[in-house]
Amino acid sequence: MVHALIDGVLTGSVYALMATGLTLIFGVMEIINVAQGIFVILGAYLSYYLQLHFGIDLFAGLLITIPTMFVVGIVVQRLFLARLKGPEKTAMSILVTYAISLVIEGILNIAFTVNNVQLNTSYTNKSFQVFGVYIPYIYFMGFLLAIVLLSGLYYMLYRTRFGASIRASLADQSAAALVGIDVKKVSTICFGIGIAVTAAGGMVFGATNAFNASTSYDLISRLLTIIVLGGMGSLAGALVAGIAMVTLEDLVGAIWSPVWSTMAFFVVLVVVLSFRPQGLFGQQSARAA
Amino acid sequence: MKKNRFAFRSVGAASVAAATMLAMMSASSATPKPHFTGAPIKIGISLSLSGDFSADGLAFQQGYQLWAKDINAAGGLLGRKVVLDIKSDASSPVQVVTNYKTLISVDHCDLTFGPYSTLLTLPSAEAVQRYGYAMIEGAGGGPSIFQAKLPNIFDVTLPVSYDMAPFAKWVSALPTATRPKSIYYVTSNDPFTQPVVDTAKKLIGSSIKSVGYTVFPSEATDWRSIADQVAQAKADAVVLGSVDVPTISAFMQAFEQAHYTPKVMIATAGPDQGSSFIKAVGAGNADGIMVPNTWYGLSANPLSQKMVAEYVKQYGGTAAGVNADIAEAYTVGETAAAAVNATKSIDNAKIIKWLHSGAVTNTVEGTVSFDKIGENLTQIAYTFQWQKKGTTFVQVNPVGNKNSVAVELPKNAWGK
Amino acid sequence: MSTTSTSIFSRPANWIWALCGVLALTFPFYETDPAYQQIGVYTLIFVACATSWNMFSGYSGYVNLGAAVSYGTGAYTLSIIAVHTHPNNLPGSASEFWLIPLAGLAAMVVAVPIGLIALRVRRHTFVVITIAIFFTFQLIAINASFTGGTGGLSLPYIPWAASYFDVPFYYLALAMSIFAIILSALVRRSRFGLQLLAIRDDEDRAMGLGVEVGKVKLTGYVMSAFTIGMAGGLFALLQGQIYPQFVFDPLFDISIALMCFFGGFGTLVGPVLGAAVLESSQQYLTVQYSNGSLYLILFGGLFLFVILFMPQGIVVFIRQKAKQRSDQQIAAAAAAGSNA
Repeated sequence: MVHALIDGVLTGSVYALMATGLTLIFGVMEIINVAQGIFVILGAYLSYYLQLHFGIDLFAGLLITIPTMFVVGIVVQRLFLARLKGPEKTAMSILVTYAISLVIEGILNIAFTVNNVQLNTSYTNKSFQVFGVYIPYIYFMGFLLAIVLLSGLYYMLYRTRFGASIRASLADQSAAALVGIDVKKVSTICFGIGIAVTAAGGMVFGATNAFNASTSYDLISRLLTIIVLGGMGSLAGALVAGIAMVTLEDLVGAIWSPVWSTMAFFVVLVVVLSFRPQGLFGQQSARAA
Repeated sequence: MKKNRFAFRSVGAASVAAATMLAMMSASSATPKPHFTGAPIKIGISLSLSGDFSADGLAFQQGYQLWAKDINAAGGLLGRKVVLDIKSDASSPVQVVTNYKTLISVDHCDLTFGPYSTLLTLPSAEAVQRYGYAMIEGAGGGPSIFQAKLPNIFDVTLPVSYDMAPFAKWVSALPTATRPKSIYYVTSNDPFTQPVVDTAKKLIGSSIKSVGYTVFPSEATDWRSIADQVAQAKADAVVLGSVDVPTISAFMQAFEQAHYTPKVMIATAGPDQGSSFIKAVGAGNADGIMVPNTWYGLSANPLSQKMVAEYVKQYGGTAAGVNADIAEAYTVGETAAAAVNATKSIDNAKIIKWLHSGAVTNTVEGTVSFDKIGENLTQIAYTFQWQKKGTTFVQVNPVGNKNSVAVELPKNAWGK
Repeated sequence: MSTTSTSIFSRPANWIWALCGVLALTFPFYETDPAYQQIGVYTLIFVACATSWNMFSGYSGYVNLGAAVSYGTGAYTLSIIAVHTHPNNLPGSASEFWLIPLAGLAAMVVAVPIGLIALRVRRHTFVVITIAIFFTFQLIAINASFTGGTGGLSLPYIPWAASYFDVPFYYLALAMSIFAIILSALVRRSRFGLQLLAIRDDEDRAMGLGVEVGKVKLTGYVMSAFTIGMAGGLFALLQGQIYPQFVFDPLFDISIALMCFFGGFGTLVGPVLGAAVLESSQQYLTVQYSNGSLYLILFGGLFLFVILFMPQGIVVFIRQKAKQRSDQQIAAAAAAGSNA
């Protein structure tokens, strides 16, 4: 029980980080980025590659992978997503990002084969004891990393000028444009940030899970569930739902059976939405279209 | 351990990958293309050369090709040349059916050999059954294959459920002083893994107290919380239904993090993967880990040694590193050859009848003989263990077998 | 979609429909090879599913990425009943075929509660919920005992010879496709269809105009589940063995949507064209290149190209081009006339 709780909070924070990127992208651009899952895996493979070929430590490697993913995000946004407009924009964005994710999946399969890999370092087998519970260093460090990055992100959003323009775009794009915010630039940078967090999320995910390119399907379904549950576009929602859902999953696994733990995830979503269609922290009402 | 994988991930047969490249290049020149109909005996095969099962599919291709080369070097079948017609199914059960239909109705193959994995074997066997063809295969040993009771299925390899029988027998018969006091069974719900663990549990029965039985979903990638649960039970022995190296390595990692070392630990898949297993868990930790298998590269069977020597000569690598898939595929060829030679025909009806007759064939995997539903129960399973600080991988069961050495017991603590 | 374009295309379009119909009806006669007949069956299964999907999602704008829920429900319903009742499998008869409409009905029944929950939310949230519900169904199929778990279910073997086996399946799939196309055409021309289209254009306005939005959406959603469920049942019979991850397949969800967007989202012909082109070419490419990863890259690349450069699908793209050309001709003729 205690075990499952601690595991859940530690792992959940990493999911919260990945989901925050996704919800930020949706909130600012009304784009559902189905490729977030494959970007996480891409981030994990980047760390894997740096470690394997250059012996770069997983955490140190983030100094390279985070900027790389940021650039990847900006390129993808400029090349493909900026072209989308019109009433079907959100639906089209799902298809476009899905197509992008297929292409990346194919490339990763060729580059790294479909055999599962996991990121290993000298400290992945080590753990320390708190209140009789062994906590592996890698989980704790992943948790710290997620907290640091999330705090940084929140600081940027709530304490800087640029953050204010992002928040204005989150609330209302056309109003933001009216007060002189360059919504296009904000969108591009937001997409970059949303993708950049997957480098960190991917590294921690890869160090705690075995993965190959098709693991992205499992990931994206969880991430989407988290942001819908939290309320699409809500930053607080992504944070709370991320931690809550993963903890719940681990608890169900411990108390009942691991076989049904993923199921709990989706059942909660369906139940919550029956009562609160806008999600836990969704601000907009369930208006149509 | 047979890698009759079902699930969503592929089994690590990475060691084969490099050799496969060579194989594909040399294969095209080694096997003449069947432009001339009539004279050669054409054998139709669908394999997963891409997709989830591709690593094993490619290994199977090597085994089939090695057999074809050998049989042709020995004068072919009934004096006719053997050619293989191999199509790729991308691990899709829809594509595999299309492929066998094409192989029989368009390419006019005389015989059909099985695809890789039980998942694809059943739909293919039904498809070729409509043409009255026999489906001789080596990788479809899950219970569902035999439950279908198709008259044309012949699996040359021991059904997966029996893989841990020698281990169960050994552990139950240990003297009370050394016998584990408690045992934990934890398995993926993969249909070709769970039956192995369930059968072991049944065979061990009450001779060791079971302190837990947990099934986890085959699509899981985060095994830590499950492994934690097992670690907390602090059982003397753990029987793990793993599907690949990452599964068992995650469990071992979580056990080490929880400072829990079982005295006896056996896993259905992963430890048999040689260097890729050692690389993932470290030699020290690998020490003492056991795994069941029906065949391995250093087998004392003379037929097997001959094949392994040829394989190593052609593709490189070491004898111990030869994938069991190769032997399974090779055995399929040997069994079919025996049937063709005995019936002196390539008439599938006659071949099916002969295969059902109980005749025994000696193959690289040992003896092959089928019961009514196409199971080969004459083969024996072995248990292997990593010993001497993870430097050697040796046969330890069945006890009394001339190649078995003593089991290292108990397992060393992690990180030593 | 404008009236001018339909009038220009009305005659050739009818010709094309007739030609396709004749080709489709006689296919098993001129293509006697079972391997190609099977490709025909799968193409038609996708034509039926894509058309049916489009009848709700294309007309209403609510993109359903959980169509495999209906497909899998149909497949499992039929398989579970067939496994438990062991229909008398006399050679030549196959009473399981009577279960196909039941498979469709089961998919409709399941669609009601899903629709009630999922259709309450905004359009893009709907997409995500359909994905979540899809995974819930897949998980149940993988883990429950009544579905046979990961081992799936084996249906009673239908003892038909190979030369004959695919023909009945082909005509059943063809009948399903024709049914789906006719139903979709009828809906499009009905008041109900107009209400769906009004929801797609502006749901708030449609509500303001007195359209019972909730009821219309639910009806459309449930109706579209019927044919997809039947197709799932047919697939189960054809394969003789179903596995959870192949009948509850996320790629199925995406393929269907892609076919409709590729052909023309919300048009009648679009899904038919999209399914026919994509499904048959997919089968061909898999056989030709037999490299799944390369295929993913090609498929994804094509997909990106179509969405970015022909965002309304091929049918609309061709219509617009044709209209431009005829407008130019009219303009040129007018110019020539004024010159003379």
